[in-house]
Amino acid sequence: MNTVLKLLVLLPAILFLVTGMRWLVAPAEIAPNFGLTLSDSIGLSSQIGNMTGFFLTLGSCMLIALISERRSWYYPPMMLLAITALGRILAWLLHNATLAVSQITVEVVVALVLLLASRRLPQER
Amino acid sequence: MTWRFLRQIFCVSAVCSGCVSTGAFGIESLGVESVSDVVLDTTQQHSASSQRPNIVFILADDLGYTDIAPYGGEVNTPSLSALAERGVRFTNYHTAANCAPARAMLLTGVDSHLAGVPNIPEMLAPQQRVHANYQGVLGDDVVTVATLLEDAGYHTYMAGKWHLGMAPDKRPSRRGFQRTVAMMDSGADNWEQRPYIALYDQANWFADGERFTLPEDFYSSRFLVDKMINFIDSNLQDGKPFFAYLPFMAVHSPVQAPQEYIDHYMGLYDSGWDVLRQQRMVRAAALGIVQADTPMVRMTTTDEWDALSEEQRRYQAKRMAVYAGMIEAMDFHIGRLIEFLKQRGQYDNTIFIFTSDNGSEASGPADPRAFPKRLIPENLGYNLDYDTLGLKGSFSTIGPGFASASASPLAYYKFYAGEGGMRVPLIISGKPVARQQQLTRAFAWATDITPTILSLTGVSQPAARYAGRPVQAITGRDLTPLLSGAAERIYGPDDAVGYELTDHGVLFQGDYKLVVNQPPVGDGQWRLFDIVADPGETIDLAAPQALRFQRMLSRYEQYRRDNNVVQVPAGYSQIKQVWSNILLQYRDATLVFLLTILWLLPFYVASRMESRMKSTLTP
Repeated sequence: MNTVLKLLVLLPAILFLVTGMRWLVAPAEIAPNFGLTLSDSIGLSSQIGNMTGFFLTLGSCMLIALISERRSWYYPPMMLLAITALGRILAWLLHNATLAVSQITVEVVVALVLLLASRRLPQER
Repeated sequence: MTWRFLRQIFCVSAVCSGCVSTGAFGIESLGVESVSDVVLDTTQQHSASSQRPNIVFILADDLGYTDIAPYGGEVNTPSLSALAERGVRFTNYHTAANCAPARAMLLTGVDSHLAGVPNIPEMLAPQQRVHANYQGVLGDDVVTVATLLEDAGYHTYMAGKWHLGMAPDKRPSRRGFQRTVAMMDSGADNWEQRPYIALYDQANWFADGERFTLPEDFYSSRFLVDKMINFIDSNLQDGKPFFAYLPFMAVHSPVQAPQEYIDHYMGLYDSGWDVLRQQRMVRAAALGIVQADTPMVRMTTTDEWDALSEEQRRYQAKRMAVYAGMIEAMDFHIGRLIEFLKQRGQYDNTIFIFTSDNGSEASGPADPRAFPKRLIPENLGYNLDYDTLGLKGSFSTIGPGFASASASPLAYYKFYAGEGGMRVPLIISGKPVARQQQLTRAFAWATDITPTILSLTGVSQPAARYAGRPVQAITGRDLTPLLSGAAERIYGPDDAVGYELTDHGVLFQGDYKLVVNQPPVGDGQWRLFDIVADPGETIDLAAPQALRFQRMLSRYEQYRRDNNVVQVPAGYSQIKQVWSNILLQYRDATLVFLLTILWLLPFYVASRMESRMKSTLTP
């Protein structure tokens, strides 16, 4: 895999890790970036727990994929991003949510970069 | 151009005739309140009752008790002098000792602790922030005077400093103001869009609820008045009255003014702060603001002027010249607004309220160019050069010496509960106000402004619920009987008004004031003063009037309980807390950075091991 492609995986991976950490450390600051108002009690617990879990898993899988150069490690982040984008579109279609074009674009583009990176690796048995 | 020319003629004639000093206030200069002078023009009263008055509420920032000409200041303020001539000057009006709590009380009529703003958020300790009423932003259970007036059919405008919350639901556009341009922080640069302290990463200006970029050609007082004129002009044709709230950034630090205004005061302060403090006391006495030869204390923070080097005195005098220039610039732009209202035929139906949020500010260092004090503004890209002091890119303050002169003849200044921090000018003026050229020595309090505006506009105070939700009751009192001459005082000898800021405590009762000022300038001792006879707080009556002293102490404790006052944590100091909060602001970013590095560490180790293994396996 060439250096440019590695960087294209590494940079969003770090960005996702920082986002996860921000959810852990200062949720009130980052929540508005997602159009969220912080809840309380169980709601707050779910917001912080789920968002932290999502972003730390996403970034970590991408880093493991980069280091191990195993194609299978690219699949979880690709799935997370693609399903999130799909969920956003369904939310728009079925639940009257705003069509979050910029967020969907980022998710689809990064998922495609990951797909491209995985294709450059040999098939695993 | 024409206006400027006319204004200069007015200034010269006013000074010559002495109307800004003593001439026009001859009766009051003797300290006599001439209730018999009340003019009862029935035609005028009928007209006023059939047409609701406009209200222009002008709030200066950190203006000292004797900073303006109608209160004994040497600064040229013809617009404010003219307002004073057409209305009532209050000599015993008090406000909070710092910014946001005062604004909360002024706009709601509710005690700062109940309004959610017992202190500015920048000074709240984390231990206090766990309490719902200690967030430093306007609570949801108080109604602003703007909301009440808007609901009563008024147009409501605001141009200036807000400092009561930046979250979407706290912005002035959501608190009753239809059109707004608002500075959300404790202050900002007056020449450009930049923060003035490290607490803010940017100067947070908003217009109509959205972030706003200031124009290139910007000076705060001019810009705010331009905006207000635009707001008023845009709706005049519909015939509705308006409420215009104009909280200037003048004369909050950084103290900055156009060169032409600074030039008027160069050389005027070369004799120093002690001389100025004495001169102002004499002029204030001549105007009837205080009694002749009012005794004064000399603040321990005031340096000896004669001990300064010639170069230091020159620099200090220019600091004060910039400050005076900033006041005059504000007055000039107030004059533009008044002229606009005259041109539009609104002046005669407008009531002006002018006051300050608190007393003069002494937080600027005695020697701002000394190391390490100078590093603070320099790190923000400001310069402290003599030649450009007050101009764009320069950072200036007045320091404790001139702040004490600015509050003459009072003791202490902003952030303290002495009279210098809490007693400020209040002028209520305009044709609809029956009495003109009057002084009142009646006690008045910041929470009185909202009920007074409501009374002047014929709008009812909110009941226990407003717009479907429970709200705090207004505790302030209507001052209009003082304006009409129907009463000589609003608060009786036994009525008590309490106040607290970071354990500085006050209880006003009749002519008396129970007060404690905490370190570093205060000593934590409770004292009792007769602030009518002794506004300079020089004679402690705690021992001679021990019974009154004890009674007032008990009443103060009741005030604390009734208003959910929370004690500051042990070892608290205002300035330390600000620095602590600045560091706290960067705590989260530092923590995120460190945790991310920690998280990445095993990946880095694995990556190194992987590449080492590959190099080992490669023949």
